[in-house]
Amino acid sequence: MTTNPPRVLLAKIGLDGHDRGVKVLARSFRDAGIEVIYTGLWQTCEATMFAALQEDADVVGVSLLSAAHMTVMPEILRIRKACGIEDLPVVLGGIVPESDYAALEEMGIAAVFNPGSPLDKIMTAMQELASRPRSNMDEAQIREGFAKRDARILAKVITAIQRETLPEGWKPPGGNATVIGVTGAPGVGKSSFIGKLGRMLCDRGKRVAVVAIDPSSPITGGALLGDRLRMMLGSPDADFFIRSLSSGGATGGLAPHCGDVVDTMKGFGFDFILVETVGAGQADVSVAKLADHTLLLLMPDSGDSVQFSKAGIMEIAGGFVLNKCDLSGADACQAQLVSAVGDSRPIWRVSAVRDEGIDAVVDWALSL
Amino acid sequence: MSVEPSADPSSPPVDGADTKPWTGPEDLGSFDAPEALGVPGSFPYTRGPHRTMYRERLWTMRQFAGFGSADDTNARFKYLLEHGQTGLSTAFDLPTLMGRDSDDPLSLGEVGRCGVAIASLADMRRLFDGIDLGAVSTSMTINAPAAILLAFYIAVGQEQGVPTEKLRGTLQNDILKEFHAQNEYVFPPEPSVKLVIDTIEYCTQHLPQWNTVSISGYHIREAGATAAEELAFTLADGMAYTEKSIERGLDVDAFAPRLSFFFDVHNDFLEEIAKLRASRRIWSHTMRDRFKAKSERSLLLRMHCQTAGVSLTEQQPMNNVVRVAYQAMAAVLGGTQSLHTNSMDETLALPTETAAKLALRTQQVLAHESNVTQTVDPLGGSFFMEKMTNEIEAKAYAIIDQIDAMGGVLKAIDRGFFRRRIAESAHAEQKRIDAKDKIIVGVNEFIEDGPPGIDTLKISQDTEDEQVRRLKELKQSRDAKRHEQALDRLKSDAREGVNLMPALIDAAEADATVGEMMATMKTVFGSYDGGPEW
Repeated sequence: MTTNPPRVLLAKIGLDGHDRGVKVLARSFRDAGIEVIYTGLWQTCEATMFAALQEDADVVGVSLLSAAHMTVMPEILRIRKACGIEDLPVVLGGIVPESDYAALEEMGIAAVFNPGSPLDKIMTAMQELASRPRSNMDEAQIREGFAKRDARILAKVITAIQRETLPEGWKPPGGNATVIGVTGAPGVGKSSFIGKLGRMLCDRGKRVAVVAIDPSSPITGGALLGDRLRMMLGSPDADFFIRSLSSGGATGGLAPHCGDVVDTMKGFGFDFILVETVGAGQADVSVAKLADHTLLLLMPDSGDSVQFSKAGIMEIAGGFVLNKCDLSGADACQAQLVSAVGDSRPIWRVSAVRDEGIDAVVDWALSL
Repeated sequence: MSVEPSADPSSPPVDGADTKPWTGPEDLGSFDAPEALGVPGSFPYTRGPHRTMYRERLWTMRQFAGFGSADDTNARFKYLLEHGQTGLSTAFDLPTLMGRDSDDPLSLGEVGRCGVAIASLADMRRLFDGIDLGAVSTSMTINAPAAILLAFYIAVGQEQGVPTEKLRGTLQNDILKEFHAQNEYVFPPEPSVKLVIDTIEYCTQHLPQWNTVSISGYHIREAGATAAEELAFTLADGMAYTEKSIERGLDVDAFAPRLSFFFDVHNDFLEEIAKLRASRRIWSHTMRDRFKAKSERSLLLRMHCQTAGVSLTEQQPMNNVVRVAYQAMAAVLGGTQSLHTNSMDETLALPTETAAKLALRTQQVLAHESNVTQTVDPLGGSFFMEKMTNEIEAKAYAIIDQIDAMGGVLKAIDRGFFRRRIAESAHAEQKRIDAKDKIIVGVNEFIEDGPPGIDTLKISQDTEDEQVRRLKELKQSRDAKRHEQALDRLKSDAREGVNLMPALIDAAEADATVGEMMATMKTVFGSYDGGPEW
């Protein structure tokens, strides 16, 4: 796919759970050929802007229905400035009295939409904001950014790789990162697991990058990139870099240029790079070529262990993670898995939601 | 990112599908009126849960409200009681609803905003200061921390010398719809439901007059579900609570009469009436045939209705008064037991006093002037109404079958079924509005430029500082040892899987805060990240 879909990051901030509007927008944007990164509920201003920086979003949309906009939006803009991404347009959607519009515009909000705003009006405004000219980096800027470990530059380089606008001749420096691929059927909890694993590796003093891949629409090129929302819990961390990519129509569970993105992350100096595949199932074998080690995630009751044993996935896996072990049927699934694996490759029982069992996987990763 | 098949027997849109200009007896097939309708107050309760309905007793006009500090709301409660109201309805602020203390970082800007802030037994004591809990009925709209708020209420009752058997009220306590729609969940689905069953068990044994769960379709519909989906998801949730309570060893007839329902009433006037009628028929059959209930009180579905907040428009907000009036009439013709009518300005802000009063007056005009109360289920027997009731019932059964086939509500949550269906329906609805397949007056047709032209309510920030200060004081002055022991007990009880109500009451009395109790339970139950999203 040669089109360059705009990237829009949508966020809900605070405790308000009214997400009908933001979800309708996310779907409409996808249908209009936009890549939507949705960060999920209960985000802080800081985590939202960190995410926007790492994702190199073209526009950030904040959804607020709790009437807290006059408290939240100034804070968003303050952090935007502190992060050095002042050229990133921020728009606001939600229940906003007209009397606040002028003040919001004055402080630097690019646009405000209310519950009655027609979709096409929102869409046009977003497309316009997203297609604003963006400065191209030259080789020296990139080199300097990498030397200073400037996450903004890394984020922009990844975008440039995807859009094939990298300065000619720039190659990432070499690095020593361990690349761990994580694959498994949809719904087994890959993102939550990676989020916890990455965070725990950070807690042990490691620098971690995550590449999370979601499918994109073969027709519009748009995509809903929702993996990130399972990794956002906790406070933002400069040594935990997450980047969502769309599969861009590629098969095999990865994204186009995925190898270049991983090489770039290596060159940036991460210790671990965790790659989450689309989760299409049996076709997800190309991750093994990219990764040094591949983990296969399974869950009780899924019947996947039987399904997988027939496919190549079982062979490429260097270890097996039985997630959601808080659910019933874990023992049976483990027994099934042990007999299907039939060798000494490790099998871990974990529960990502309960933070159980992940320590052992961390120890394994650190021993690699 | 799951591979849920989206093709199903009742894909949206469900409304407006009729092509014939009228309905006649031929459209009802082998309709057997005595069997399908019965008489009001008898099986299958299609025409109403009571024999005489509004002729004898009007529906309860229950307007939900709450604001500021415990003292502010206490004053409001006393005012309402002095003016003859016997039921109190409590709205909590967002931090309390999410089980967080007023001083939690995520509570910033939210304390006392859209309801009252209750973080400890001390707050609850002030909320009901001078109010005899043996003489009032209290409704508490709260879910994830519902067991904690109930523990506070029981503890205040004990301090007043009111035996638990005399406590009357309703806890919303419907955590399942939080996973589907409203997003005020904390723990993963399984332990969350376990906690609900703890309250059902405890109330069945100690608070026989307490309505344990208000099983809610309202939030599901507001989030975008169709009428049939609202009906099916809500009843499926009710079945899940019933099933889990029976698994706990409770007799169905001991707890089922204390389950009640809460539906949304939207714009499609006739479809909404059909939905409410169908809900009673499905529930009575399910309770009798699937759960073997014998008591009549277990079979009849009692409901509260609220007009659809999501149908209100910011454009030309006065039009909302008309929408609310039609919706209220649909609720009454559908046979509701109580009703909340929304204020016209709720899409702009919390309602002003004038707007809230107008919403109540809308109900009073309906009750006393329109004369729709003169006969029970006036639309019963209309060819179209019976056909529509049959159709929405069939659609709901098909969806319930689909949920059962997935292994029940919890499994379906795990697969993202509800959230995906709701988001898809919401998206489809928006596309219809954008394409003008569906007209919303003042939004996509009959548009006027200019500001809404009504005054809205402004809320002060003072409550937050005061509440944070009180909380700090409490944490310094309480018996630290007793507090620690109570939380330790809560943790070990959670680990052992026993009923947590006694430990929660103990923790409440030890001045543990809502946030502390939730955090303690989280160490055992874990927290939930929302499940599959798309």
